[in-house]
Amino acid sequence: MQLAPRPKTFASGAGLVWRWQRILWWIFIVNLVLALFATKGMAERADWALSHSVASGPLVNGFDLFSLAELAAQPDTPLEQPGPAVLHYSVVFAIFMLFAAGGILATYVFDAKPTTTAFFEACGHHFWRFFRLVIYLLLAFIPMGILAAICGSIYNRINAVSNSPYSADFFFIAISLIILLLTMVLRLWFDMAQVIAVAEDETRMHRALRRAASLLAHNFGSLLWLYLRISLLAWIVFGLGLYLWMYRLSPLSNTAAFLLTQLMLVFWIAARLWQRACEALWFRQYQAASVTEPAYTPTPSPEPAPIPYSTAIN
Amino acid sequence: MRARASWLIVYSNSSSDLSDCFRFYGGRTLRNWLTILLAGALLLSARGTVSAPQLQVVNGQAISASSEPNGALSTRIVAYRIDAKLNTTNHSIDANETLVYRNVTGQPQQTFPFHLYLNAFQPQSTLMTEVRLNGARGIGADSGWNDKHRASITINKLEVEGVDLAGKMQFIQPDDHNTNDHTVFQVTLPQPVAPGASVEFHLTFHDELPEVLYRTGYKRDFYMVGQWFPKVGVWWKNAWNCHQFHADSEFFADFGTFDVSLTLPQNEIVGAAGDLVSTVNHPDGTKSMKFHSEDVHDFSWTASPDFTIVEDSWTGSAGPVKIHVLMSPGHMASASRYIQAQEGTLAWYDKWIGPYPYGRITIVDPPHGAGNAGGMEYPTLFTAGTAWFMPKGVRAPEDVVNHEFGHQYWYGMVATNEFEDAWLDEGINSYVEAKSMDALYGPKTSMVNFPFATIGSSDLMRLEYISLPDTDPLTRFSWKYISDNAYGGVTYGKTATVLLTLEKIIGEDTMLAAMHEYFLRYRFKHPTAEDFLKTIEEVSHQDLKGYFDQAVYGTNVLDYDIWDAHSDRLHWWEKEIRGKNPSEEMRRTYVTVHRKGDFIFPVDVVVKFEDGSSATEHWDGRDRWIRYIYDRKAKLASAEIDPLNQVRLDRTSFNNSFVVREDKRAIHKLHNIWIFGSEWFSQLLAWLS
Repeated sequence: MQLAPRPKTFASGAGLVWRWQRILWWIFIVNLVLALFATKGMAERADWALSHSVASGPLVNGFDLFSLAELAAQPDTPLEQPGPAVLHYSVVFAIFMLFAAGGILATYVFDAKPTTTAFFEACGHHFWRFFRLVIYLLLAFIPMGILAAICGSIYNRINAVSNSPYSADFFFIAISLIILLLTMVLRLWFDMAQVIAVAEDETRMHRALRRAASLLAHNFGSLLWLYLRISLLAWIVFGLGLYLWMYRLSPLSNTAAFLLTQLMLVFWIAARLWQRACEALWFRQYQAASVTEPAYTPTPSPEPAPIPYSTAIN
Repeated sequence: MRARASWLIVYSNSSSDLSDCFRFYGGRTLRNWLTILLAGALLLSARGTVSAPQLQVVNGQAISASSEPNGALSTRIVAYRIDAKLNTTNHSIDANETLVYRNVTGQPQQTFPFHLYLNAFQPQSTLMTEVRLNGARGIGADSGWNDKHRASITINKLEVEGVDLAGKMQFIQPDDHNTNDHTVFQVTLPQPVAPGASVEFHLTFHDELPEVLYRTGYKRDFYMVGQWFPKVGVWWKNAWNCHQFHADSEFFADFGTFDVSLTLPQNEIVGAAGDLVSTVNHPDGTKSMKFHSEDVHDFSWTASPDFTIVEDSWTGSAGPVKIHVLMSPGHMASASRYIQAQEGTLAWYDKWIGPYPYGRITIVDPPHGAGNAGGMEYPTLFTAGTAWFMPKGVRAPEDVVNHEFGHQYWYGMVATNEFEDAWLDEGINSYVEAKSMDALYGPKTSMVNFPFATIGSSDLMRLEYISLPDTDPLTRFSWKYISDNAYGGVTYGKTATVLLTLEKIIGEDTMLAAMHEYFLRYRFKHPTAEDFLKTIEEVSHQDLKGYFDQAVYGTNVLDYDIWDAHSDRLHWWEKEIRGKNPSEEMRRTYVTVHRKGDFIFPVDVVVKFEDGSSATEHWDGRDRWIRYIYDRKAKLASAEIDPLNQVRLDRTSFNNSFVVREDKRAIHKLHNIWIFGSEWFSQLLAWLS
């Protein structure tokens, strides 16, 4: 069944996020706290070198890349490699989000204030289902990886034979956008599978994925547009924030920079929740439409065979 | 090996002479007089070290400048005539070469070594072996061999005075005995060449070019042809100097003239290190272009049908200079940046170093995918590098022009031995690059200039240095560094930083005057490290041996720190210090300065107090630490070593100061960036889950 685009879904999704904004703030706080832990070691080491040194001046009054590089190369207190800590805490955050997804979607799908217990029940109830979905998603990324590798070799080939540098680079940009779009479609597909799993308490994830694929195939334009425009908005706000941060804010305004970057993060998280809310809303509308406009007319079941009279009287 | 032994003997003699001379200096006046006297004595006695205006000392022989043909800038030892034909189908060159070698060595010469650089592009060559070990020029150590990079130079004929000597060619490996390396051969003539006489070599050779690697080769229809012909070695320090081609080394050759005829398809646009004399079109669709160049020591050329020529001119103290820029497709936006950088650099060099005597300079912009040909210098021609998306805030095109043009002075004219003294060309050039880039584009913004991030050229040099400050001395032979990174960090970054720090000792103006003097003395010659260092001492009238021993010949690391700095209240029993008014609060301030590294260097220490007063101390740095004690009413505000940030060799500047009042602004800024990055990465990962 194809569901006609519902312009209200976009705004109503935002309304859902606003109504249940406690979710947004909790995610933001968890993200911030984990980031603080992830960067604590680096900050302590840098603090040791910076806080009582005149040499921190170029970092205060501007952003001198040399000072940063020199700081990283400190013989006594070199900055620890940020990679492992940031990666570890990011994985923790990703697992947390996977866990919370059930509760978040239940809140959006049923649009009712859950108790804390109910929220976490929903989280726990769907966690392993969503974990299985992550495995499916990773499998789905394999062809994407193959596609990226093929495009990489095509890029190298174009780069080798074309006299113009634009051909290969524009191909790279185009193919990157296409791969990004395909990744978004994949994400949308798995998002819808999660919504189905929550809304219908579907236990078999392959069935949820099949249904989500069918829904996506029949409503591809409207669903993708719903998802894409929120993404675009998020990127625009993110870009605008970066521009303000890098070009407009005084290098001395640390507080303003902190508030701005955290605001960007809040909007980024809100945009993702907005997508989830819109997907949930869309599915609710779809379910409602399925009830009022059944996709098929059930064949009336045959009249029950008359019980043999003789049997009846015996 | 013979060359090496001779070199070492000469080197040790001259260095001991110099060190003895400068060790006996006493007071300043006496030292100045002695300097003059000893310099005069050296002029008469030392070999290859100093030249008076009327004399040129070449390879151990003093030759009157007037003995050269009229207008000659250099002692022309070699005269090459090459007639080459480019085959664009199989990327090869067939050529005839005539080399007239003038024997000014002061002794008969019978054996001559030649470079065959293109033979380095073979899997078992010394260059490739070194690349596999350490990586170099952007190629990772683990990069496998790719046959598209195979190249060779084959000599089909070698005749001297009608005698075929091809059979007497013998490949030699003076540096590593790798018999698979065929980058140097020597040939022994039937008769020795008498001093002052000339000998004429006739060679026929065939080049197979690689897909661009290590500065040379082809990419699609672009050709950058460098180090492509058999080139005779240099008689230097009483021995032949003809090293194999190494991963981390460049070149060394004698001055002379080049008459080169190139035959190639008519659609090719050609740039060459010479003046175009004539062009003749042939009925077969080819053309022959003749070039002439003099007072240079190499000849390279480039060709591509896709070049767009951009021309300009600039007039300096030596007359007009034509600037030819050969732009590759898609890069035209950088043409004006190249030209502006070239003119700015020409003006800077003309003002501070000396005149550019050639009438032209050619800038070759390699096409995309041919980056390995970029950033390389040849006499009167160099390759640059850019991209179609190059932001204006990234001054890479300007910097590469500045650096490679600088090599016209430090390599092109002051033709040091790049195999053995890489720091004298790359390092000095990096120092001048830092000075000129910072002067042209701002000291903190000359490399990257965005509102949100900046970096200057001299800082970038220092960054290279601090990445590997203690592995090798500057004077290490270029292929003997511990790693490719060390070669880069020391040769470029450390040399520049050593010379920037030297400015603190002798003053910036004196340093520039010394560079100017060094250029004037040694242009069109092959100076040594001692020549350079001695010029600085002579111009500055200072004994700098202690500094040069550590900074140039040593690997000591310079690092000072504030070990401790604090103020205490005076105790009641110290009332004699408290003064007449016992109610006055007096404090004793301790500042301990520590020399962490082994490099001894005098430093200034400024101690500031809360009432605005300050004390400036000068410490010679000879002991490991020194403690300054002050009895004042005011508490300590800060203690800072080298407050003017002149000791650029100091490995880290963060420990050079201690400010009592904590300032968290820098750490807050950095922490904010790290938090944001971490949060965003988490979001990305969560999106995938």
